[in-house]
Amino acid sequence: MSAKNSVNISFSVNGENFDDVTVPTRQHLADYLRSQGLTGTHLGCEQGACGACTIELDGVAVRSCLVLASQANGSSITTVEGFDDEIMEKVKNNFLKHNAFQCGFCSPGMLMTTKEIISSKKKLSRDEIRAEISGNYCRCTGYQSIVDAIEESINEIN
Amino acid sequence: MKAPDFSYFEAQNIEDAIKYKSEDDEAIILAGGQSLLPALNMRLSSPSCLIDISKINNLNEIKVEGDFINIGALATHSDVMNNDLIHERLPCLVDILKMVAHAAIRNKGTHGGSIAYGDPAAELPAFAVAMNAEIILNGLAGQRIVDAKDFYLGLFETDLKSDEILTAIRYPLLGHNQHLIFDEVCRRHGDYAMAGLMARVELEQSQIKNLDLVYFATGDKPNIAQNTAKLVINDGYDYERLKKSLASEIDFAGDLNSSSEMKLHLATILINKILNKLER
Ligand SMILES: Cc1cc2nc3c(=O)[nH]c(=O)nc-3n(C[C@H](O)[C@H](O)[C@H](O)COP(=O)(O)OP(=O)(O)OC[C@H]3O[C@@H](n4cnc5c(N)ncnc54)[C@H](O)[C@@H]3O)c2cc1C
Ligand code: FES
Ligand code: FES
Repeated sequence: MSAKNSVNISFSVNGENFDDVTVPTRQHLADYLRSQGLTGTHLGCEQGACGACTIELDGVAVRSCLVLASQANGSSITTVEGFDDEIMEKVKNNFLKHNAFQCGFCSPGMLMTTKEIISSKKKLSRDEIRAEISGNYCRCTGYQSIVDAIEESINEIN
Repeated sequence: MKAPDFSYFEAQNIEDAIKYKSEDDEAIILAGGQSLLPALNMRLSSPSCLIDISKINNLNEIKVEGDFINIGALATHSDVMNNDLIHERLPCLVDILKMVAHAAIRNKGTHGGSIAYGDPAAELPAFAVAMNAEIILNGLAGQRIVDAKDFYLGLFETDLKSDEILTAIRYPLLGHNQHLIFDEVCRRHGDYAMAGLMARVELEQSQIKNLDLVYFATGDKPNIAQNTAKLVINDGYDYERLKKSLASEIDFAGDLNSSSEMKLHLATILINKILNKLER
């Protein structure tokens, strides 16, 4: 048994392999990703409340401020920079069309949460959409336009 | 803020984790990290080492054993919500978990972590107490089983010993006359409640025969209101009387969300909400 203050880990981000990289044990995943130039993942509160740092880890949405980089060993990660498939192109276009961002700080997290909503294949009412995004703060839009964009995306894709 | 420095140990099995923990008093278990990492980021805690148990195999199993349903400590809130056995045998738990945080947090946060942490505002400790659940703990001396109602001692204080790990929670299945009804008041969906109530009800010919009331987000731990439950069985809902009774048996503690007077008021009206939900 041994414990150290840094660990060597391997994982992939948006399809690119990171092999045997050294990370400090106290570093959370969001800080690691940002240190690699992947600054699309935003940090607001670092306590799980705002949702700006939401990423996809092994197929599910998680808060990257509440996952240690060392815990991501062997994982496959998708960040907002990796949203280039057909479905996410449609979602991004709907966000543009409905003005669902102003400053853009919340948008990576909103898009991640939308991705998880779309992949659940459920037809959600506007109230249900609001409940699903209740873990993502937006200080600009007043949410109306975001709900519009998500609603149109669900109707278009599912 | 950023977490302080600590070392990291990835446990491959329960024995490793127990051994490590028994040798280092300042080391702390990391499960889903959804309560621990916020606390570290805010520097409310400074452990020497995090013992990561999240990669241990088979600790997330959900199975029926006789008259119990057994939930492995590492089952995430999402695992539990998506589990067929839970939908069939303990559906009330699915509705309760919908109120616990948000999807991205439920994807990581574990059942055992929530029970072990014993946040007085959390749903699951109160649920475990109301359900008469058994908490399974493994330590150097082997396994022991503690009733949930004896597990919670005070504010974030439990009967978990320094060499122990919570491995599973066993819930007795509800009989067809028994119901677990829950309600809470919160400011935003997914936030911690301002006050909440788990009620275990046993009916006989549409009358309440037995009633257990267990509150969360009211005091230092899951608060049992035994005398108030008796009043409800005998006389039904009377706001002033029940409020007086609750004030005498629970030491209401205000928090950022609501004052102690507000919690007392909410605790009282929650009884009415629960009675209205009861299909008789
Ligand atoms: C923004 C936000 C909102 C939330 N809202 C709610 C809410 O409304 N209701 C609610 O109930 N919870 C809420 N939570 C907390 C969430 O449910 C946590 O996931 C859960 O309470 C802890 O589980 P964990 O696996 O993440 O534990 P961790 O954070 O890993 O651990 C928590 C504590 O328990 C100990 N521990 C964990 N597992 C074990 C074990 N098996 N044996 C012994 N000790 C163990 C750890 O050492 C640590 O001290 C919220 C969290 C966040 C970030
Ligand atoms: S920065 Fe992670 S939730 Fe706010
Ligand atoms: S667009 Fe500014 S926070 Fe949402």
